[in-house]
Amino acid sequence: MAEHSILVVEDEHTLRRLLEYRLSKKYNVRTAANGEEALVRVSEELPDLIISDIMMPKMDGFALQASLQDRKETSVIPFIFLTAKADEQSRLKGRRTGVDDYITKPFDIDQLLARVERLLARTSHFQTQLDARIGEDFSRKLIPKQLPRVDGYKLEFHNAPREVSGGDIFDWTEVKPGVYFITIGDVMGKGLQAKVYTFSFVGYIRSMLHALLRTSDSPAEIMARINQLLVDDPPLEDSFATLLFLRWEPARNLVTYANGGHPRPVIITERGAEILSYSDIILGLDGHAEFKDTAVSIPPGAAILTYTDGLLEQQMASGEQLGEEGVIRAAGEAFGSDRPLDRIVSGVLSESAKPEFADDILLFWMEREASMATIRQTPRWFSPFGESADPK
Amino acid sequence: MSFFIEPVTRDSVVVQIGKALDFRNAADFKAAVQEQVRSGVRNFILDFTDTGILDSTGLGSIFSLYRQVSPMSGQVVFASVSRPVQVVVQLTRTYKVFRQFPSVDAAREGIR
Repeated sequence: MAEHSILVVEDEHTLRRLLEYRLSKKYNVRTAANGEEALVRVSEELPDLIISDIMMPKMDGFALQASLQDRKETSVIPFIFLTAKADEQSRLKGRRTGVDDYITKPFDIDQLLARVERLLARTSHFQTQLDARIGEDFSRKLIPKQLPRVDGYKLEFHNAPREVSGGDIFDWTEVKPGVYFITIGDVMGKGLQAKVYTFSFVGYIRSMLHALLRTSDSPAEIMARINQLLVDDPPLEDSFATLLFLRWEPARNLVTYANGGHPRPVIITERGAEILSYSDIILGLDGHAEFKDTAVSIPPGAAILTYTDGLLEQQMASGEQLGEEGVIRAAGEAFGSDRPLDRIVSGVLSESAKPEFADDILLFWMEREASMATIRQTPRWFSPFGESADPK
Repeated sequence: MSFFIEPVTRDSVVVQIGKALDFRNAADFKAAVQEQVRSGVRNFILDFTDTGILDSTGLGSIFSLYRQVSPMSGQVVFASVSRPVQVVVQLTRTYKVFRQFPSVDAAREGIR
């Protein structure tokens, strides 16, 4: 974590040096001998906290404080007054200007340090809370509240964002009746900035999809266009994203995908789990990059699993990362389970170095139900709801 | 934390990535290579010999460098790529953009 910066404003040389000496053990300290100098220091770089004397030549502490109140970004800097004037009148005046604390000389330096510490902790606590709240809000809005409901398919979704989370994307849209576009991705970067960017990026992809789908329904073509925009658009410069587009046509049991550097999906059938191996380069790096569609037909009972790098890079107790081999194994073990994603999560965590995921994870499971022939082996007609629940 | 940068020619350098390039030091990496670009460097050999961690923020900082120097005919090449770095490069398919060399010496020869 970066050191907090403190500005000490004190005209008395010895005291100024003493404060600088004691505070600089923990903080990044700058000093000023009066209010005027202090304003120059503040304009160079905003400090995290100001400790100021009241009685000073040129510009006194009250004038400094009043002047800082004029600008929004300086008015919120925590401010401690330090003064020899123990009389009630100046104390009241100090209160009136809205300072955070008021310490009378002679003072105990350890007490001052404790107050500084408390004030800084409070400020950064509010900041962290605010960041977390905004981040959570974005996370909630980024993730759709429901999944498509399609007869003959079971869809599951698992999302576990961490506190300092990044830009995982999951979105879907029914582009025309019976045809779904599913977007899975990860915008590079961490923290609130990545979150805000991801939020606009998803909106951007949504509108692009709607515009482009009028002329093309190829995931690869749309991916190429989005890649070009990422490279060419100045506001999007320096932004990179892995993206996986799935065009899903349940009636044909067909998934057509384009993969831009995203962790490769797994298909699981009765014969076992295997990687859908074709993928292209991550988006935002090369404007001329080419992308290719791959069509995958989904046999009865088969499932497709998509995931983000948080799963892949999970540190296992063995000391290795989970890796594709680990994902394949976990997917194979979850196959046939009622709650396959829960099974994957608990299975991976049970073999992890730590009992939680180090990064965000986002998992999506699409399973075609077994054929009618297979279903008939189970005596469904004994269920009083069986017939009416079945559309056929 | 700073990165050790060794000049090769007037416009080429070797950057030792060290143990990790991730969200903790990606900004330092950016600042270090920016300074090189400003002083006229166009070709960057990234030495991954000791690198155990390359996360997406770290990779992003390399991408930014690539985006910046490639229009000026600059190159970013990877040398002595460790296994963890290789995994990330494979995953993101970025080997299509970053040439790889088995050693720093081979990279020095290769970018001439």
